[in-house]
Amino acid sequence: MSQNNPLDAGRDERPDNATAPDGTTFTRRTFLQGVGLAAGVVAAGVIPAVLTAGPAAAQDATTTAAPTVAAPIGTEDPLASILAEDQPANYPGHPVYYADPAGPEKWAMVIDVKACVGCRRCVYACVEENNIGRTSGFTFIQVLEMEAGKVDLESAVLDYEEAGRPDKWYLPVQCMHCAKPPCVYGCPVIATWKEPDGIVLIDYDKCIGCRNCLITCPYGARHFNWVHPEVPAAEVNPKVPLAEKAWTAEKCTFCVQRTRHGQTTACVEACPVGARKFGDLNDPNSDVAILLRTRRVWRLKEEESTEPMIWYVG
Amino acid sequence: MTDATTTQPGIKRFIGIDWNVGALKSAGKRYWAFVGILGVLIALGLTAWYLILTEGGVTMAQRDGFTWGLWFANYMFYVGLAAGGLVVYASVHLFGAEQFRPLARLAVLMAAVLTMIAVLGDLTDLVRVWRIYWFALSPNLTAIFVYTGSAAGIYMTICFIDLWILITGKGGEKLAFIMTLIALPFAIYLHTTTAFVLALNKSRELWNTAVMVPIFLSSAIASGIALLLIVAYIMQRFHVLEFTSKMFRSLSTLLAMVIIIDLFLLVSEIAFVYWPTSAKAGHTLRFSEFLTGPYAGIFLPVLILGIIAFTLLARRKTRHIPAVQITAAALYVVAIFLKRYTLMSMGFAIGVLGQQQAPYVPSLTETLIAVGLLSIAVLFVTLAAKVLPLRVPLHDHGEVTSPELAGQPAEPALEQEAAQ
Repeated sequence: MSQNNPLDAGRDERPDNATAPDGTTFTRRTFLQGVGLAAGVVAAGVIPAVLTAGPAAAQDATTTAAPTVAAPIGTEDPLASILAEDQPANYPGHPVYYADPAGPEKWAMVIDVKACVGCRRCVYACVEENNIGRTSGFTFIQVLEMEAGKVDLESAVLDYEEAGRPDKWYLPVQCMHCAKPPCVYGCPVIATWKEPDGIVLIDYDKCIGCRNCLITCPYGARHFNWVHPEVPAAEVNPKVPLAEKAWTAEKCTFCVQRTRHGQTTACVEACPVGARKFGDLNDPNSDVAILLRTRRVWRLKEEESTEPMIWYVG
Repeated sequence: MTDATTTQPGIKRFIGIDWNVGALKSAGKRYWAFVGILGVLIALGLTAWYLILTEGGVTMAQRDGFTWGLWFANYMFYVGLAAGGLVVYASVHLFGAEQFRPLARLAVLMAAVLTMIAVLGDLTDLVRVWRIYWFALSPNLTAIFVYTGSAAGIYMTICFIDLWILITGKGGEKLAFIMTLIALPFAIYLHTTTAFVLALNKSRELWNTAVMVPIFLSSAIASGIALLLIVAYIMQRFHVLEFTSKMFRSLSTLLAMVIIIDLFLLVSEIAFVYWPTSAKAGHTLRFSEFLTGPYAGIFLPVLILGIIAFTLLARRKTRHIPAVQITAAALYVVAIFLKRYTLMSMGFAIGVLGQQQAPYVPSLTETLIAVGLLSIAVLFVTLAAKVLPLRVPLHDHGEVTSPELAGQPAEPALEQEAAQ
């Protein structure tokens, strides 16, 4: 668990607008100054879109940003269709045994890939928060080192050693809590489902260990405990199951033990550059709702029609 | 039933079948040595399974990247081989292919046993198999495993029932015909859903193709016929059953036809992957692992063995020679096993996040379980060859739809005929 990243150096050396895939000039500094400041975000969303010439981009800018600028929030909510899609799936009517009941929220995450320096602090924070077996050989979050100029997973590097390279960009991948989750559809015994607040959870006491969910997930987000998860006694998080995860599938839970108690996820908290935003799509003033309304966002493997609840922006 | 069951020495009548237990007593040393070896292999398989149940999935070589392994290749392989029974069912009882009638009981027995070890292979891989009751309590109707698992169970049951009907002759030709009408859709359902286990995953690019179902069926039928041909020759060699060379000719002609269809589908799928106007980078990159990459050694033989097998069976001058038929059939059974193995690997060679996975080699426990399951199947057939009346009685040949024969039991055993 060595942190092999000269994080601060990476932050300073890296040009702020180096490798954004969509060519926007929205800077990380702006991002850090607080996406809660709606005005700034709206400006940052509109101006670069106009600057990136071309009729398609201009048209895109008007359609994306217009409702926020012209109409007050709530009258014509562009998030409505997303919220309508993010429905429970195979939900047995009660929360999974280790979680509190879901609230009225619809959780979502936005990750700024321009800000991400690939330091993997989110990965480590997640391992500690979620009782991931130290010898289990997986982490919920996998950060890919991507080649500039394309979103090409086949040329991405998962086990890179040096983070913060200015000639690369970094793509953190984890459970997308899809609105149409293939893992939930594929589980033969309904040992996993999507709860009303959008979180996809696994009942470790029901999983039969067939690993079909690992097969159906297009994001490699699910992992199997081939061994008993081992966590040093002093580091065990009592709010998260441990022993019962043995020989079952597990994955990111959007830190259900935290987020249903008003806290944010461990990865969001750990990110040193504020690249991760987590929040409630029902709340028009949440970071995620503002970002989705005002920024050009994209989702990984959109063509798979899984409707992920994690968006990327850069 | 009119027969007075004049049980001969060594014949035990149970559930309407004359079990020739006496044949076991008179069996030679070599027979028992073979059975003994099978017993040892089964015991080793059970030990390996015990290890998985107590030590967990870590005893297997499968990992997150290579999520499924040998068991899944075998599941596809055995389910496919069981299609041999389907072919004989359908051709005898639906299309009147009387030359295959002597094969009927053997074919149905093999279909039942192969489906059984396919299901057992699936179960032994489940790391928490004792929770399997959830399949019945809360089945997920969008999960293909629910369909293929139940299809395998039902098809196996139908095959065993059909075997019983064929041996006891209960219900005569009419019931056999009805059973065929029941079994045939279930066989196709089983093969389709097994292909769907692969094809319905949009996450796995090389599996996610609609051609998977027809190609699975053609491979299944080809390998099923090929195995049936081999086993028929073995049964003939050990004087368990006799067949005419005409029957073998028909079988091998059918085999040649299905092989060429199978190869055609495979080649058209490859063309689809590489044609510039349809090629997708993810597909070609993944397929190249099998054409030129680390898996070429097990994938190219699928094509080469297939072409050799077809050539052997197509050549007019030599195709009637038993050795040629057996060689071709054996080559194609091997080819289909390699095809199942590579098909399994195609989902994993390059992971969903584009990462190259370490090649999977089955662990000792996985191998022992696979060998143990195969031994169970061989043991079933070996015992059945002695104990069960697999021989289709002579009066059961020909046009059997005549009213005199319809209600008559087909099997007051051959011994009775001999005694008269």
